[in-house]
Amino acid sequence: MTAQDGTGLTRIVHAVRELELGERTSYSAGCLTVGEQSARELLAHPALAEVRLACAAPGDSARIVGVLDAVQPCSKGPDGGGVFPGLLGPAMPVGRGETHILRGAAVLAAGYLPRAQEAVIDMSGPAAPLSPLAATHNLVVEFTPADDASWEDVDAALRRGLVKVAAHLAEAALEAEPDAVEELPEPGSSSNGKPRVAVVTNLQTQGKFKDVFVYGRSLSGGLPTVITPGELDDGAVVSGQFGHPALKNPTYLHQTHPVVAALRASDELELAALVLCPEPVDQANKELVSAHAARLCAGLGVDAAILSKEGGGNADADVTLKMDRLEEEGIAAVGILGEMAGRDGTGPPLVVAPTKATAMISTGNYDERMTLPACERGLGRERVALLDQPSTDEIVLPTAAIYCVQSTLGWGRLTCAETA
Amino acid sequence: MRIVHYVNQFFAGVGGEDAAGTGPELRDGATGPGRKLASLLGDEHEIIATAVCGDDYAAGNPEFAAELVAGARERGAEMLIAGPAFTSGRYGMACARIAAAACEAGLPALAAMHPDNPGLGEAAGTSVVESGLTARQMKDSLERFAAAASKIAGGEELTAQDGRIGPVARSNRFAQHSAAQRAVALVLTRLGGDRDATEIPLPDFDQVTPAAPIGDPAETVFALVTEGGFVPAGNPDRLESARASKWVRHSLEGLDSAQAGSFESVHGGFSTQWANADPNRILPLDVARELERDGAIGRLHGEYLGTTGNGTTVADARRFGVEWAAELRQANIQAVILTAT
Repeated sequence: MTAQDGTGLTRIVHAVRELELGERTSYSAGCLTVGEQSARELLAHPALAEVRLACAAPGDSARIVGVLDAVQPCSKGPDGGGVFPGLLGPAMPVGRGETHILRGAAVLAAGYLPRAQEAVIDMSGPAAPLSPLAATHNLVVEFTPADDASWEDVDAALRRGLVKVAAHLAEAALEAEPDAVEELPEPGSSSNGKPRVAVVTNLQTQGKFKDVFVYGRSLSGGLPTVITPGELDDGAVVSGQFGHPALKNPTYLHQTHPVVAALRASDELELAALVLCPEPVDQANKELVSAHAARLCAGLGVDAAILSKEGGGNADADVTLKMDRLEEEGIAAVGILGEMAGRDGTGPPLVVAPTKATAMISTGNYDERMTLPACERGLGRERVALLDQPSTDEIVLPTAAIYCVQSTLGWGRLTCAETA
Repeated sequence: MRIVHYVNQFFAGVGGEDAAGTGPELRDGATGPGRKLASLLGDEHEIIATAVCGDDYAAGNPEFAAELVAGARERGAEMLIAGPAFTSGRYGMACARIAAAACEAGLPALAAMHPDNPGLGEAAGTSVVESGLTARQMKDSLERFAAAASKIAGGEELTAQDGRIGPVARSNRFAQHSAAQRAVALVLTRLGGDRDATEIPLPDFDQVTPAAPIGDPAETVFALVTEGGFVPAGNPDRLESARASKWVRHSLEGLDSAQAGSFESVHGGFSTQWANADPNRILPLDVARELERDGAIGRLHGEYLGTTGNGTTVADARRFGVEWAAELRQANIQAVILTAT
């Protein structure tokens, strides 16, 4: 089946090579102009006293501090049905038809929210290769909360505002000649003899400021669910999780899910299913969700699964328990995990290790320190809270503070190995 | 070489657990297992002094190591060796710390312990050689220790063949391909039947044997400890909300409960709204006092120990555990309630 048959997604790609603020939103030949007034109106909310807009491009001497979520602009056109279902569009299944995306652009919010940690992006210098959002042209939304607003309302206003702006920006490209048109068939039951691989994506579900939304709802308290990968492209999964910046999976990385992309590109393996799982906070529910996810995968007839997590040490268990249950079902399990091996890299790399499964990919050591050079421009927050230093200073930070560097959705090249 | 040898109170003949609070001291010549070690080391080396410290004292006062190393240097020590500590956690930690302190002071150093000893994580790159599980394996352990010490004294590096143990440092670097692409490649390897291929070696966690059940709670002294980021309001010690590198202690004397406004949680792993509205839900002081008043428990210890368990490395958590155990043992605590969040 192909996407044209109605069981897949046609991704219409518009590349963004330049981003600027202007009077009117427009897109032409790789240049995206953000109409300031329109963007402000879309972000306006009683919980926000003020929003400020700035652009940050790859190579700029700029540091963004306190990054919250980041979103890739996308639109299904005026008549194409809503993107970001449950938040912007109606909460009904998406992932079919056509979706326009602005590749190389992102809308991101940066500033203080409770429980949000440092989350630093350097747009140039040695840390630039460590964040996927250092390679995108970013519209950075800074904000001042209204005096009487609750933090929950500020968070919700930002989330809604970001996706509105993201959809608005992509609408400017609907009539433009695309740079690429990509057909993304839905996984079917036949694989032409190729091994079938499930992508098992754990979503953080730890309450306020540490939750991820699927069709606008938290998976907290629920069981694993199967969606089509195309639903990610349309923004069915939106992040509201701001802890553990290095291990964060922002909306942008769900929309561009690197493991899904790698399997789509594989000649030898078949992308068979996408399974979303909550990450409960207690052991009994971790075990239930893990056993259930393994049964789902067995029912889907997959030969292997690639697993990812979001969050710190306790989320190791959500991956490693599932790996063990999958292996028991006869399904080969590969987990992508960040290491927490201490500053000198000599500690145990995992908090909870698998007992049966063994195959793991490392996204680097969370605790290793690195020095970020001084830069000209600071966005998001004026100071790096962890160090209480101005955002533009030379700073020494644990890898843990760099936005998405260890994301186990697997975009990055960072890994860890024995010191020679 | 002029060597100073470190042993704990037990192997120095000071006493058992009752003497674990003994402070640091240096004695002339070899003592206890040091005598056999001296003969194994032969004429080229001399144990000029024995450094001694009680296990609890060493666990609670990490500065014992620098103090003893300074004393050893004053006596003209050219090398420091420590142990063997077998599987004794506090002793192992003390050996690792004093060997690391000696290294930092520019002396060649070596510790000996069993690979399961939690102190191994504290060696900070200093050489550690394997010993047996218990003192019953003293003879073999000392032979390997002496051979390794001679090698270190000769300026050589220890190898696995010499019995070198300890964590191997891992460091960050860039792979050629993204983690997603590597995961896809690893699926193919794994489906090909290779069960060993991995980028993350399986950690070897030590198994802790639970203590024996307490007798009569009404006769037992209890302590409250927590990893819930529980601190006096304002967080005077600046305990971290994540990746804690330390723990704190504060008095509970004269307090009937943990009042909102007096205590708070700085834990970064959950919403602290409800914890701050009623801090007793992190450290159950209110209920513990009730039980104390009713005579259901003997007595509540006058202070709590606490840290933040959020993104904490296993090595740090293990160190906190050993230090807490020593502290609580020193205070004659018989039972502990650890609230975890």
